[in-house]
Amino acid sequence: MGTNIVKVGKNFFRYINNIQLKLILVLIVFTLICMTLGFFFGSFDISIKKFIHGNLSQLEKEILYQIRIPRVLLSAFVGAALGLAGACLQGLFRNPLADPGLIGVSAGAALGAVLSIVVFSNLLEHHFLGIYLLPISSVTGALVVILILYYLSKGFIYDGVTYMLLIGIAINALASVGIGILTFVSDDAQLRGLTFWMMGSFANAQWNLVIPTIFLIFISIIWIIPQSRKIDIIQIGELEASRLGINVIKLKFVVIMSSAIMVGVSVSISGMIGFIGLVIPHLVRLIGGVNHNYLLIGSAFLGSSLLVLSDILSRITIQPAELPVGLVTSAIGAPFFLWLVLRIKKS
Amino acid sequence: MSIEIKDVRYMVNDTCLLDKITFDINPGEITTILGPNGAGKSTLIKLISGDMKPSSGEILYDKILLNKLTLENKSHRRSVLSQSQNINFDFTVRDIVEMGWINDFNNNFEKILNEVSKECSIVDIIERKFRYLSGGEQKRVHLARTLLHIKSIENIYENKYILLDEPLANLDIFYEFKLIKIIRKLAKNGLGILMILHDINLAYKFSNKIALMLDGKVKYFGNPEKVINQKNLEKIYGLKMKIFTKPFFIKYY
Repeated sequence: MGTNIVKVGKNFFRYINNIQLKLILVLIVFTLICMTLGFFFGSFDISIKKFIHGNLSQLEKEILYQIRIPRVLLSAFVGAALGLAGACLQGLFRNPLADPGLIGVSAGAALGAVLSIVVFSNLLEHHFLGIYLLPISSVTGALVVILILYYLSKGFIYDGVTYMLLIGIAINALASVGIGILTFVSDDAQLRGLTFWMMGSFANAQWNLVIPTIFLIFISIIWIIPQSRKIDIIQIGELEASRLGINVIKLKFVVIMSSAIMVGVSVSISGMIGFIGLVIPHLVRLIGGVNHNYLLIGSAFLGSSLLVLSDILSRITIQPAELPVGLVTSAIGAPFFLWLVLRIKKS
Repeated sequence: MSIEIKDVRYMVNDTCLLDKITFDINPGEITTILGPNGAGKSTLIKLISGDMKPSSGEILYDKILLNKLTLENKSHRRSVLSQSQNINFDFTVRDIVEMGWINDFNNNFEKILNEVSKECSIVDIIERKFRYLSGGEQKRVHLARTLLHIKSIENIYENKYILLDEPLANLDIFYEFKLIKIIRKLAKNGLGILMILHDINLAYKFSNKIALMLDGKVKYFGNPEKVINQKNLEKIYGLKMKIFTKPFFIKYY
């Protein structure tokens, strides 16, 4: 009875061609270049030459190690998380217009964050949980949404995809009602904090927040990448994939959980950053192909590099002030999205 | 050794969709289900493929309870062609067909892929994007995938089965005939085949057994000669029928 012939998901390199491998290599190099730029450019430029010779001033060192490096790392990982989650969810829902916001996870995280800004900061001791209050409350919001999704879709059963999207729409609506009410009752200082948070920013990247974020995103990436081939096969239908021996329910669980963790953590620390999850996977498909072994990794690196670039833009456009990075990504992403929709309509 | 369906019943919210279904699917034979819309044909295929569990009764694959088989085990024993879904990304025909291959990639892969592509006449469209194909072409691609699936499994078990839910839908008469010949060849090679058809003539000519279904029950089961007669067909389809034994255009048959 025992048999070992079928292992869907093995043969990783069979489902990625040489051109795609080279593209990924290019994207990795591009990401590293963007990160290097991010380290040295900003409202206060640090000389690369001085860094190489090792004679930075105390101030420059301080800025580089305590501000720039954590900030660039954070934006790189958040970009990877959003790009990858977008690619996975578009694959899972077999819908090119899906994005992490669609299933309500971002909205849940946002509601949690706004709650912490408006309500908890008044109710609780000022030092309770300190800087971790907002991220924790935000991740909790994301987790609550996942639990609701899980129970309402009866444990991610077959053919629950449309159902799940509709639940996501309902959750989004409910969360925005909550955010609206909280915005209405907030005082001026809270309103300002809340508005900036909603527009997305990496300005408060500190090592003690950045490290746990990077860790959680990294774990999720490691969890999700081996599912690539299964996400390919699910394109022919959930039932058809299960008949080929794929445990579709488990696949949904892994993809949704890891995407939710990545998105929840990202939103919690850097606010709402739009269009990365939606647009990046399309760009990656456009340049290299649709198979997920390539698409997932490609989306992670392109998301990463473009978000680091956006963050640099947000730092240098209106010096010495900063543009919220969510505005930059939306300003670039929205026209691209429009072009995409027109292109889909044509074909 | 065969697929045995024993007194299967399937209920959804107190509505009985299938009741008292009992018959066997033998290796080397073509078993065809005929019946009007809503008779429960597709539901029965889903139960036999193991996608859903019957409310009562049992289904056995070569004496092993279907419920006891894992997804992987099931995939080694049967492949299924069903009404297919849209594919929203630009996968090529080759990508789609390859998804049926559930074995390691050995030397047989290219050989069997070529063989299957020729059989299903998709050699010329193999590099095209699947989602821009016509309905009939898509059907042939999915059929190729189904065949590749069952052929990718080496003979570990004695019997393999193919379940086909309206394999001839969307096909023109040329491919209809061609496909029926492929199915007959598979049966000759020892596979057990269960299919749903709407063409009574083809079913009569090519099946070893026919199940006539109505209202969730198999009303008549047996050899075509025994089952297909005016009285039974009129009862099943609710139409006045007449059987011609020598239709003039049937020289292919």
